[in-house]
Amino acid sequence: MFQNRAEALALALPAAVFAAIVFLAPVVILLAEGFRSADSWSLSAYTTFFSDPLNRTVFLRTFRLGLMVTVVSAVIGYAAAFAIVNLTPRNKGQMIGLVVLPLMISSVARTYAWIVILGRTGIVNQALQLVGLSDEPIRFLFTETAVFIGLLQLFLPLMILSLISALENMPKDAIPAARVLGANWFQVFFKVILPLTKEGLVIGGTLVFTGSLTAYITPAILGGSKVLMLETLLYQRVTVANDFVAASVIAFILIVMSFAANLLLKRLATARNKR
Amino acid sequence: MTPRIFTPLVLFLVIGFLIGPFFIIVAASLSGGETLAFPPQGFSLKWVAKVFTVESFQESFAISMLLAIGGTAAALVLGVPASYALSRYKLPFGETIRTIVSLPIIVPGIIVGLALLRYIVVPFGLNITLTLFLAHTALVLPYAVRVVSASLNNLRSDIEEAAVLLGSSRAGAFFRVVMPNIRSGILAAFILGFVTSFNQVPVSLFLSGPGVRTLPIDMLSYMEITYDPSVAALSALLAFMSIGIVFLAERFLGFSRYV
Amino acid sequence: MSDAPFLSLEKLTLAYGDTVAVKDLDLSIRKGELVAFLGPSGCGKTTTMRSIAGLLSPASGAIKLDGADITRVSANKRSVGLVFQSYALFPHLTVFENVAFGLRLKKLPAAEIESRVTAGLKSVGLSNFSARKPGELSGGQQQRVALARSMVMEPKVLLLDEPLSNLDARLRLEMRTELQRVQKETGVTMIFVTHDQGEALSLADRIVVMLNGAIEQIGTPEDIYNRPISRFVADFVGFENIFAVEGGKLKAGNGPIDLSGSLPPDTAGLAWRPRMVTLGSGPFQGTVRGASFSGSTREYLLDTPLGAIKAEEDAALAARETGSAIAFDLPVEKAARLKKFG
Repeated sequence: MFQNRAEALALALPAAVFAAIVFLAPVVILLAEGFRSADSWSLSAYTTFFSDPLNRTVFLRTFRLGLMVTVVSAVIGYAAAFAIVNLTPRNKGQMIGLVVLPLMISSVARTYAWIVILGRTGIVNQALQLVGLSDEPIRFLFTETAVFIGLLQLFLPLMILSLISALENMPKDAIPAARVLGANWFQVFFKVILPLTKEGLVIGGTLVFTGSLTAYITPAILGGSKVLMLETLLYQRVTVANDFVAASVIAFILIVMSFAANLLLKRLATARNKR
Repeated sequence: MTPRIFTPLVLFLVIGFLIGPFFIIVAASLSGGETLAFPPQGFSLKWVAKVFTVESFQESFAISMLLAIGGTAAALVLGVPASYALSRYKLPFGETIRTIVSLPIIVPGIIVGLALLRYIVVPFGLNITLTLFLAHTALVLPYAVRVVSASLNNLRSDIEEAAVLLGSSRAGAFFRVVMPNIRSGILAAFILGFVTSFNQVPVSLFLSGPGVRTLPIDMLSYMEITYDPSVAALSALLAFMSIGIVFLAERFLGFSRYV
Repeated sequence: MSDAPFLSLEKLTLAYGDTVAVKDLDLSIRKGELVAFLGPSGCGKTTTMRSIAGLLSPASGAIKLDGADITRVSANKRSVGLVFQSYALFPHLTVFENVAFGLRLKKLPAAEIESRVTAGLKSVGLSNFSARKPGELSGGQQQRVALARSMVMEPKVLLLDEPLSNLDARLRLEMRTELQRVQKETGVTMIFVTHDQGEALSLADRIVVMLNGAIEQIGTPEDIYNRPISRFVADFVGFENIFAVEGGKLKAGNGPIDLSGSLPPDTAGLAWRPRMVTLGSGPFQGTVRGASFSGSTREYLLDTPLGAIKAEEDAALAARETGSAIAFDLPVEKAARLKKFG
């Protein structure tokens, strides 16, 4: 550890000052704007925002979709992570590669695929008509279901990766030991696996939840103006109505929710390091 | 269910769900038809070819490339010294500084874009391209600091003292014995930053002007006009580009260690 | 070896932030001496060594080397070599380039660098390894590269941080011999830091025992081993029966105990190794509580009015029964006289 403080500051300050000016200051001013009304501090922007039923619907929908994507990705994530950690090291590496791969592909491209799949002339509609389940094309695009599927596909890899590392850190003999002691698979999961991988679940869950809350492309492409989420609402308020106050309110809600989730994550991470 | 059936079935379904759509895009982009459809109507490369003729795609691709390369390079110029100070020095307010440079990863990009538009572009009349460059630099900075710090923490700090005792200056020690040993970490940070910046949408949403928009934004607006398969073809091409870069990085750097 | 001090530390005070690690340390070392800094971790020995190297600037005091005050001379201009405990080889450079590193910075002619590096590697027996990377060498080989890297610079003082602690028993003996040979051949002044008394006793010309940031005792290995002057040093070098002395009487067990023979007035304590205790006769009585056999000797633990006493006897003598009563003596003439007891 070098002791020279001036040298240390000279190295670190450019980055910090840059982030403070280009990033922190504008964001803070934007957030402050939502608490101003006629030259004084006030919460009126927030009461106005929440008095509009559309805004309330969008807020609740965003929260609900975030929660649903998190829960479903946890269920699928456990199954997938469990299957992957039990593979041979070589196969495991390849599978993890396949899980990481989509993260490197533009989310515009990934979301666009669902138009091909769920569109009026998409695969799903063609299949339904082929087997005679439906005469007319069913509308999937611009529904909550489409947004849900898109978000799930986008963020599932983060959950799987967190759970893989949690399962790998679990004591090797915990599951056989529980089986020998007479636990069925249901009990093994809830009494052994879940408590031992809780932190991985929380980390993955936080990433998926904040990711879903703040996603823009998926609700924009698959939800359109029919299924607005907070980010698409913010964009609409600014571009359609020039309503920067509402934008500031939405921004604050998004930041508070993201920070709350990240704080939880950080607390759990430090708790784990201390152990 | 026994693991013999369970494992392959789960993996087939999950990997299919994650990767399948990518194959569908590739197939759709090779369609001979006029509209987006699957299975494709006939085979042709005309949509792939069209991608290269759309002028706005060319322009926005150039801008995205410039932002991704320039922004990441700038983030490293700021981030490498900061990481070095954070890992090797007793830095006053070290945790605060670490938090400030890490914040752009936590705050939703759309808010950053809007804030920059409203409080930097409008009042100071700052050029949109320059603002995009600053925004992308800030966005990549947390990744640069994280990956380079990890790389520095894996390197013993006494080699710098050894270099100094052999007659090197402090700066000389950094360039002679630290840099060569964190080179692959810096390269990994560059690749991660490049991919992040190139695929970034929300930050750039509000930051577009006449003739200036990033490629993903351009794709979004193109989709609003037409659903022809050229966006599918472009998506497939971009995906191949990302996969190629990551594959090479993994091959030569063991990239996944850093991500 | 001349008697004039070659390296001297004067009223040296070293601190990390507000934590004082070494206070008002005075020490002089002669040219060509091999000195050990011995003490438990946290005693300030490594801190003192780092300040000699210039890696830590003193809060106050002065460091003088070869007639010049080097207190404010930066580490890269001091002609002081340091072999790190971790060796600190440059992982990206070959063995040859590691050794050549300092010479290249001096901008010496290529031919001279070549010949000095080759000679340096030869002297540590690593001529065939010059093209390897440090990661391909064993710990012992890495250490010899680090030694060669410092020695080709022809430093005025060579510092070594725990030079034997990372090596196994066989390599330890090899390295000890190596260091003594290098020192003899080059006449370089060497200081090494260790927490292992055996290492210090077997290698050093002179030992500086440190405790809590100050020097506890300086002396030859014989001095330190046979004539510790404080309770800490006595304990550190293996004295087991240590008692305070007050007014010429031994302070032990139930009260002051008269001693046969008189003591100089500055005696603060007395200490005996187990083998200095006479068993079978003497003014004191005890009971054998336990015995352990260690090949050539037998060690006994006695319950006595003085407290627990450890004694040792030749294993050829008949074993003494556990629980039996026994007379013993603590002969004052054999004891180490401690001037400091605290």
